[in-house]
Amino acid sequence: MTKPVLIVGGGPAGLSAAHALATAGQDCVLVEKEAVLGGAPILSGYAKLVPSHEWAKDAIGGMVDRVKNNPRVKVMTGAEVQSFDGDAGNFTATMKDGKKVEAGATILATGFTHFDSVNKPEWGFGTYPDVVTTVQVEQMLSSGKGVRCPSDGRVPDRVAILLCVGSRDRQIGREWCSKICCTVSANIAMEIRESLPNTNVYIYYMDIRTFGLYEGDYYWASQEEYKVKYIKARIAEVTSDGKRLLVKGEDTLVKRPISIPFDMVVHAIGMDPNVDNMTLSSVFGVDLNKYGYIDKRSTYAHLAETNRAGVFVAGAATGPETIDDSIAQGQAAAMAALNALHAAHKTAAE
Amino acid sequence: MPIHEKSLIRPENLVTHDDLVIDGVDVSGHWSTFIKGRSVTDYNEAMQDEIAALPGGENIHRCWQCGSCTNACTVNAVNNDFNPRYWIYLIRLGMEEELLRDKDIIWQCVSCNKCTYACPRDVMPEGVMKATAHWLELKGHTPKSPSTIFDEEFTRQIIKTGKIEETRVITRFFRGTGQPLRQNWLEALIVNLVKRFPVFYLMRLGLSVVFRPKTRGWNKARHAINEYVHEVEEANRKALGLGGEGAK
Ligand SMILES: Cc1cc2nc3c(=O)[nH]c(=O)nc-3n(C[C@H](O)[C@H](O)[C@H](O)COP(=O)(O)OP(=O)(O)OC[C@H]3O[C@@H](n4cnc5c(N)ncnc54)[C@H](O)[C@@H]3O)c2cc1C
Ligand code: SF4
Ligand code: SF4
Ligand code: SF4
Repeated sequence: MTKPVLIVGGGPAGLSAAHALATAGQDCVLVEKEAVLGGAPILSGYAKLVPSHEWAKDAIGGMVDRVKNNPRVKVMTGAEVQSFDGDAGNFTATMKDGKKVEAGATILATGFTHFDSVNKPEWGFGTYPDVVTTVQVEQMLSSGKGVRCPSDGRVPDRVAILLCVGSRDRQIGREWCSKICCTVSANIAMEIRESLPNTNVYIYYMDIRTFGLYEGDYYWASQEEYKVKYIKARIAEVTSDGKRLLVKGEDTLVKRPISIPFDMVVHAIGMDPNVDNMTLSSVFGVDLNKYGYIDKRSTYAHLAETNRAGVFVAGAATGPETIDDSIAQGQAAAMAALNALHAAHKTAAE
Repeated sequence: MPIHEKSLIRPENLVTHDDLVIDGVDVSGHWSTFIKGRSVTDYNEAMQDEIAALPGGENIHRCWQCGSCTNACTVNAVNNDFNPRYWIYLIRLGMEEELLRDKDIIWQCVSCNKCTYACPRDVMPEGVMKATAHWLELKGHTPKSPSTIFDEEFTRQIIKTGKIEETRVITRFFRGTGQPLRQNWLEALIVNLVKRFPVFYLMRLGLSVVFRPKTRGWNKARHAINEYVHEVEEANRKALGLGGEGAK
């Protein structure tokens, strides 16, 4: 009998790994530090997902139910691993509350942390209530309350979405592109235009990265069907004239300064490395890459491996990832964990 | 085609013909003013490397045209034509002719470094402005800027004596930039100095104006600095494909 697989993190990546392992007849233990499963889409209350247009609570909620109802998966919520000893095939994880879990292999699916916009004070978050993040807009949409200015509850006439907030910025040590925020912003813009046809939405961009099939469904559709406007400018500052927000910058295509009034400004925030990564690195003995995400070994030669044998990684823990890719990586890590268990089992039998 | 908004077109691009017939239509004279096309016909591929070789220009290749430098810029706020982002674009692509149109404003950068702190790519646009002004000067497109003349006099004295003597820096700077020696603000400054300063300091100031003391044992330092300055200037000129003699 092999020992169970320990999965840390119950977001899309962890849930898909658990489901894949259980489907293959492998027992696993899923450890999640929050009280509920589902990861960022559930914890932060995302609305309709890219690219399926399904509500997060249905799509990811379905993944949660599938895992919770599976007898092969033991779920521990509100739990964190305090220490982790042993070797591949024979690990012991000790939880913060002292409980011990025996595991043959481990998958880290610990995800990311949302960028905190107060770290870019020039863009007004934390100073003006009507400057919000994409996460807040997702919540306005998913709660059914609709997109309203937090200051007085009015329907905004004009919304500006600023891309790359907390990404692609050496000034704050974040050199990565968060991959999904262009598409998520186009999606949000279309949702706003659909629910509030009199509200105009402007997206301020440096580059547009609606890669692959997202190009047609999001970048083109947002312009062709929803008349969302794209302006090539990185904003200098967001201020207020007492009534409305003022967005200032240079429209680089016409080479002119702009100073435009808006009712609401949305920060398309990026995906930071999980704030727990330093701790995870020392507890599990895994290396981080130079950006602070968990380092994954060469994709060509290795399957979901970290530097420590028997410890695998999947999803946004490795860098900014989409949900679809996180799910695929969870399945790959499950396959890798199964291989490792069988190898350990064989050596033990010999 | 007759055009009425001639003021919007660069004068050198407006052409009229005294005697021209096209396809049997007489298009001579004022009512048939033509606008010349403004297509870019070639790139000066050496330009980015040349600017990058001058101090401050090293990171120019990183720019992705976001506009943060321009919208943070002190000088841009008073003159929209002062546009670091735009110039960096021209330099990177080697659109020399376009850049030269703005040669008389590029040096106006006040080195406040607001752009440096706004740039997401760490291009250091302030340095690029400095390198560009330097490039224009070395290539002979612009005369030495006032700040260069000031810096040169300042440096000349340091190298010579290891010290600076303000009255000489100022008088030489005025002479170099063709300004009169008697300036209201300067007179007010001197009058106030004389009124408020202890006599002892005034005497020391006066003595150093007359005798111009050197820092002790400066000869060796002077030699080393001269050598270094010469090396750097040589390298700068070489990077720009200019002749071997010193810059000054
Ligand atoms: C505003 C916004 C909108 C987005 N919308 C979309 C979209 O529409 N479509 C799309 O494809 N992608 C979207 N994304 C990206 C998406 O959120 C990620 O791809 C996805 O959440 C990654 O899944 P994950 O399981 O790897 O990580 P996460 O979702 O971050 O899950 C990690 C889980 O691990 C838990 N955890 C963390 N640390 C520990 C620890 N030390 N111990 C135990 N548990 C821990 C966390 O609590 C969490 O439950 C969006 C991102 C943002 C910021
Ligand atoms: S996906 Fe778009 S908004 Fe997000 S960091 Fe990349 S370029 Fe910026
Ligand atoms: S350093 Fe020069 S280019 Fe930069 S913001 Fe100041 S004036 Fe503008
Ligand atoms: S701020 Fe930096 S990257 Fe942006 S246009 Fe200026 S130099 Fe280029």
